[in-house]
Amino acid sequence: MKINYEFSDFKIYMRDWIGTFRGKLTVLCLIGLILIPLTGNEYIIGIFNTFMIFTIFAASWDFLAGFVGQVSFGHAIFLGIAGYTTAFTIRFLNFPWWLALVLGAVIAVLFGLIIGVPALRLKGPYLALGTLAMSLILYQLFLMGSLAILWENTFPGTIMFGTDGIGQIPPISQEAGISYLVIFLIMVTSLIVLTHLAKSKLGTIFKSIRDDETGAKASGINTTKYKILAFMISGFFAGIAGGLYTIRLTGVNPGSFQALYSFYAIIMASVGGIATISGSALGAFIFVFLGEILRLLGDNPSISDLLGGFTEPIFIFSVILILIIRFAEHGLLKPVLEHLQDLWDLLLGR
Amino acid sequence: MFDTIISFLIFGTIQGSIYALLAMGFSLVYGVGGILNQAHGAFYVITAYIFYSCYINIPQFGYVIGIIISLIATTIVGGLVYLLLIKPLKESHVGVVIVTFAFAFFIERFVSIAVDSIYHNMPYLIVGYFTIFGVNIQYQYIIILIVSLLLLALISLFINKLKIGKSIRAVAQDPEAASLMGINVDKILAYTLMISAFLASMAAILYVPVETVAPHIGWSVLLNSFSIVVLGGLGSLPGSVIGAFIIAYSRAFTNYFLDPVFSALIPIIVIVAMLVLRPRGLFGKKEIK
Repeated sequence: MKINYEFSDFKIYMRDWIGTFRGKLTVLCLIGLILIPLTGNEYIIGIFNTFMIFTIFAASWDFLAGFVGQVSFGHAIFLGIAGYTTAFTIRFLNFPWWLALVLGAVIAVLFGLIIGVPALRLKGPYLALGTLAMSLILYQLFLMGSLAILWENTFPGTIMFGTDGIGQIPPISQEAGISYLVIFLIMVTSLIVLTHLAKSKLGTIFKSIRDDETGAKASGINTTKYKILAFMISGFFAGIAGGLYTIRLTGVNPGSFQALYSFYAIIMASVGGIATISGSALGAFIFVFLGEILRLLGDNPSISDLLGGFTEPIFIFSVILILIIRFAEHGLLKPVLEHLQDLWDLLLGR
Repeated sequence: MFDTIISFLIFGTIQGSIYALLAMGFSLVYGVGGILNQAHGAFYVITAYIFYSCYINIPQFGYVIGIIISLIATTIVGGLVYLLLIKPLKESHVGVVIVTFAFAFFIERFVSIAVDSIYHNMPYLIVGYFTIFGVNIQYQYIIILIVSLLLLALISLFINKLKIGKSIRAVAQDPEAASLMGINVDKILAYTLMISAFLASMAAILYVPVETVAPHIGWSVLLNSFSIVVLGGLGSLPGSVIGAFIIAYSRAFTNYFLDPVFSALIPIIVIVAMLVLRPRGLFGKKEIK
């Protein structure tokens, strides 16, 4: 399971990759993304921040579901636990943001293991419903007033539970542009790490478990160990996304544990295409921007009179998800790329 | 103290019989088709809202009309969910769980847009109570107990004695062999989903007046059904009935004698403990792999 990596290999790999259509397109998109803060428009920068954070979140789900075949319906666990840890350590223990972020992700992983380890030992739907159950229960627990009072009496001056959550989290940097660049770098790093893990020898083991668990076991692979490892990797990146999301929203509340956020991850990954890490970026892009457009439409009185509230983003997205899974199970990334490439070839007159 | 024990017993029994209806349908669908129906709570929500809207909008007979319409509509929705969403995706397990999860969200959002998203209360079918040992027992509780026990008995008769019940058991045992014997497996699975939706719908009609109507109530239905089914054994019907009463009594016990915090934790404790100690559940069959 060691990932052998020589720098010269990497250079050759990069040169080949840039040469392909996909590589060029990716570089173009990344350059476009990096230029966003130059607009100086806080609203646009904010939306793009959300988009990048959700990309990490969706990619982490996609890694687990697409490459290991383990579907989690409670990725909100990681989002919430990491969010709370990050918020708590920054606000009450004065941790720097990067330390809080990593600590949040680690604690989220440890929390996820409570349900992950027993569920992953078994075949079947246990992980899907176990994680969902865990997130629903954490949501109830963090809402509970009696726990909030108990916590405040035990640790005076700090907040953990209760409906309001933890607020007043400072941004990564006072400069919006620097915060943006930090999130950008974290997103790019996460995507590269996840893509390469999926392509590495470890990824091959994961895919063998996905395609035929009994066969993998028969070839001497300790499937439980690798499934738990994949769950931890996925949870770590989901936790990073959770910490960043908390910092971006300047606070966290029990809402982070809602099944809704697990649903977000599934929508974004499925729309982009399951088992294509980079598809999550496309999915998150569609999700965030279509969501924003729908919200604007809903605020428009003449349209909301006409449609009676049915422009609500989550409603529309649940319809989209049903349609995508039903009619285009492999998501949008591959067809979109093919069409773009055809268009590109046409323009170059090939 | 004595009256607390009495009310704990009564409430545990009521909740247990409702949980049994819910878990039985959930377990049946998993046992027969291997389908993990995340939209199980959605059936409950659909019934609750049709029931509520009929009661509000139709004068005089709204309550009874609501019961009839919501039962029929939910059962039909159950069949449609199978035919339109689950059947085309049967080859991919991931697809089925995602699409039913999405359907649950669709219903939750739909009712909160079409009706509203605040809590509503429904009146009891028969208002009134009698007193035993100083504890007031609503007539509704008696109705819940009688109707749900009757339903459970009917369903087990249906599955064990009737021809269609035999076909259901045959499909559960081996779908391929069943289809070779001339059983239309898709039809049987659609019926199973409809039975499951009907049971969830009955549970909603009985229990909604005791609790509330709100868009998110489906999630706790799913959560409880899942923990019961893990406890009793995935696919085992007697297991899910017994599991329902165990979970209901332990939740009622913690609610009455300890702290509601523990009551909220019970499902996850049960799930983790069972997965570690006895993954096939109390009454589940040992799978041969």
